[in-house]
Amino acid sequence: MLFSSITYLFYFFAAFMILYFAVPFKLKNAVLLIFSLIFYAWGGVKYALLMVAAIFIGYTFGLLIEKFREKKRISLAFMWLAVTSILAFMLYFKYTNFFIDNFNKLTGSSIDFLQITLPVGISFYTFQTISYVIDVYRGVPAQKNLIDLAAYVSMFPQLIAGPIVRYVDVAAELKERTHSIDKVAEGIRRFVIGFGKKILIADRLSQLGDILRNTDEKSVLLYWVYGISVALYIYFDFSGYSDMAIGLGKMFGFKFLENFNYPYISKSATEFWRRWHMSLGSWFRDYVYIPLGGNRVSKLRHVFNIFVVWFLTGFWHGAAWNFIIWGLFFGVLLLIEKFFTLKYLEKSKVLCHVYTLLAAVLSFVVFNATDMKEAFVYIGGMFGVGDIPLATTEILYHLQSYAVIFLIAIVGATPIVKSTAIKLSTSEKTGKIVNIIEPIFIISVFLVAVSYLVDGSFSPFLYFRF
Amino acid sequence: MNTKIKNIVVCVSMAILLFGLSALCFFMPKDDFLDAERREPAAFPEFTFESVMKDGVEYGNSFMSKFEDYAVDSFPFRDSFRTLKALFANYVILQKDNNNIYISDGYASKLEYPLKDSMIAHAGNRFNYIYKTYLEGKTDNVYLSIIPDKNYFLAEENGYPVLDYNKLVNDLKSDTDFAEYIDIFGLLEIEDYYKTDTHWKQENIKDVAAHLLASMGAQTGTEYKENTLDNPFYGVYYGQAALPLAPDTIKYLTSDALNNCKVTVSHPLTGKPMESTVYNMDKAYGKDPYEMFLSGAISIATIENPDAETDKELIIFRDSFGSSIAPLLLEGYSKVTLLDIRYVQSNLLSMMAPVYGIDFENADVLFLYSTLVLNSANILN
Repeated sequence: MLFSSITYLFYFFAAFMILYFAVPFKLKNAVLLIFSLIFYAWGGVKYALLMVAAIFIGYTFGLLIEKFREKKRISLAFMWLAVTSILAFMLYFKYTNFFIDNFNKLTGSSIDFLQITLPVGISFYTFQTISYVIDVYRGVPAQKNLIDLAAYVSMFPQLIAGPIVRYVDVAAELKERTHSIDKVAEGIRRFVIGFGKKILIADRLSQLGDILRNTDEKSVLLYWVYGISVALYIYFDFSGYSDMAIGLGKMFGFKFLENFNYPYISKSATEFWRRWHMSLGSWFRDYVYIPLGGNRVSKLRHVFNIFVVWFLTGFWHGAAWNFIIWGLFFGVLLLIEKFFTLKYLEKSKVLCHVYTLLAAVLSFVVFNATDMKEAFVYIGGMFGVGDIPLATTEILYHLQSYAVIFLIAIVGATPIVKSTAIKLSTSEKTGKIVNIIEPIFIISVFLVAVSYLVDGSFSPFLYFRF
Repeated sequence: MNTKIKNIVVCVSMAILLFGLSALCFFMPKDDFLDAERREPAAFPEFTFESVMKDGVEYGNSFMSKFEDYAVDSFPFRDSFRTLKALFANYVILQKDNNNIYISDGYASKLEYPLKDSMIAHAGNRFNYIYKTYLEGKTDNVYLSIIPDKNYFLAEENGYPVLDYNKLVNDLKSDTDFAEYIDIFGLLEIEDYYKTDTHWKQENIKDVAAHLLASMGAQTGTEYKENTLDNPFYGVYYGQAALPLAPDTIKYLTSDALNNCKVTVSHPLTGKPMESTVYNMDKAYGKDPYEMFLSGAISIATIENPDAETDKELIIFRDSFGSSIAPLLLEGYSKVTLLDIRYVQSNLLSMMAPVYGIDFENADVLFLYSTLVLNSANILN
């Protein structure tokens, strides 16, 4: 089920809110679990069973690891058994056909592809469950209550597109959390902002991207508009979803960590990744990079560790070479910055932003391509490769038609709006006016976004495929 | 208002919206037909074990997938929400079109761009097939005329991408060298079209009809009486634009010949001939009043003129624009036959011809198509 759907908002969520706030606290996690399973099963009942299996594995091995905590080797074996079992699900459903395809290409074989559909959000709940068993192995107390653990893994606000919530971050809230009007209002604000980002900005840019992909009248300007719209679309789509998840969590008394922090104001690729998909970055840092030795190893090994992390980051996003190359592209950039350019970039005021934005745009063109061939065509087109004009009537028309969306997206990708809103709301002169305008603004954004849902067609979130 | 009150206002207003609309989703009576969109809404899906368990490639047929369609189609105040979206798109984020519909000078039009060469080639191919199969050696009086869509008058001067109309015409002309081209572009202007619909107004195309008749060597000069339909006409773009546009008025022309003529149309499902009238007044008060012209979307129609001073027949291969102009061409012929190869396979025409008394021998044959259909010609069979 999608957050940005009529079914979710006016059937599922409305029913959930009534039941969740009607039951006593001890039943809230059970309600959360039941609704989360319905939420997930809405996309395919069989896949919900897969998630339930992952939950049972996490729960059982968590208890076993804790029971044999004193016997390091046994608990380590249980930890690995749990991690490999859970990873096996992901490998099978997400990567089997990728491996078959590459094996066929390498050997000339013609092994048939398996009829596998990727269960939505498998990469997210898999990583959450893995982090849970590793954290238990590292000393975090195992969750004895199956419902609480299942509610954590399957929690619908962040189940299918993140952020990747660590068990340790919500363990206390699973046991005891408070609900209040202020938290609900804050959650509503955050949810509606995310909802607006997704429907009013991301989906519009996605629509433009589709138009530009499908037109026969390609031009240099078109490829640039496409690249910029893709970079903005991916940001607003994913950060919009994270906003909605964080907002929903707040309504139910949870505090999920932030996932984005205005990545497009970064001065380097290194900084970009400190601001982009932070829950994934910290997951790879804590569960891959540091266990590999991090930077406390030889230079060569350090470089190897970085490449492993960025290879996996790319591969996590999708079973295709363009994702791997996208990840490695950032790996290379980070290494170059680390050893050579970072100190110069930090000194410049304009060049660093131009460089980072260019890197981001190029990388997301690769990310969004159907394959590397298409990625090369698009990037080549940006630099005038091929017999294409500088601009056409069509691209000028689309640029004009989407100018306001672009303007909103560009300004919205910076902290300007947020800092201005805080400034105005805390000022004595304007604070009262902001307090009156804010609810009107929230309701208006919600209604307009709903109107797009009613008018529009089905538009899944980008990150569901990961 | 302090923060505490503001938070209460946010929660209460959102709760009213969420639960209010949710309750209406469950309890508000559902429409049987979405008038603005001219279609039936998605029905509540069948809830069975099989329909719930469908996934993967079959997910589109699952209860869940179909419920999503139902939820959107039956959403309370659907038309008002669509209007809100259109207003926001047009006037807040200043998008130049909404669902490809734009409004210029009060006229709603749909973007038609770019020119699809393959479609024009397909149209040429189909017309060639018809010529070779049914016309070659039987008649030399074959004509081609192309009707410009509203974008021809609106797009360029209002900053919208525009079809290369010259190329379209030249390409089709060169693909159909068996036909004599009759140019009507210069006879039309935007005022000749409905504001909310794609079609032209019958009362404004008398000159076009006269030009076509003259070009085909047929008699012209009939005086028509103008009649006004007392039913507001919300055209196809009205629903798609979802903007509060004023309705058009349909006017239709009558004459003695039209009053006395015999009309036969094919049954939409069985294809069998049935008697009808030039202006179908049931359809005039139906979902799409433009369908009053020769009963709308039908594959074959014939109009027989008992007052004709000639035994010459006209056969028109046409789209929906032909429905409103065909009555005005009757004056020059004893019989006008309209064939719409969007709804009948052109290779089946030989089977249908005896049923409808269609005789290509020495007939005048006119291929009359709008640029809209030509640029989407894969619908021509």
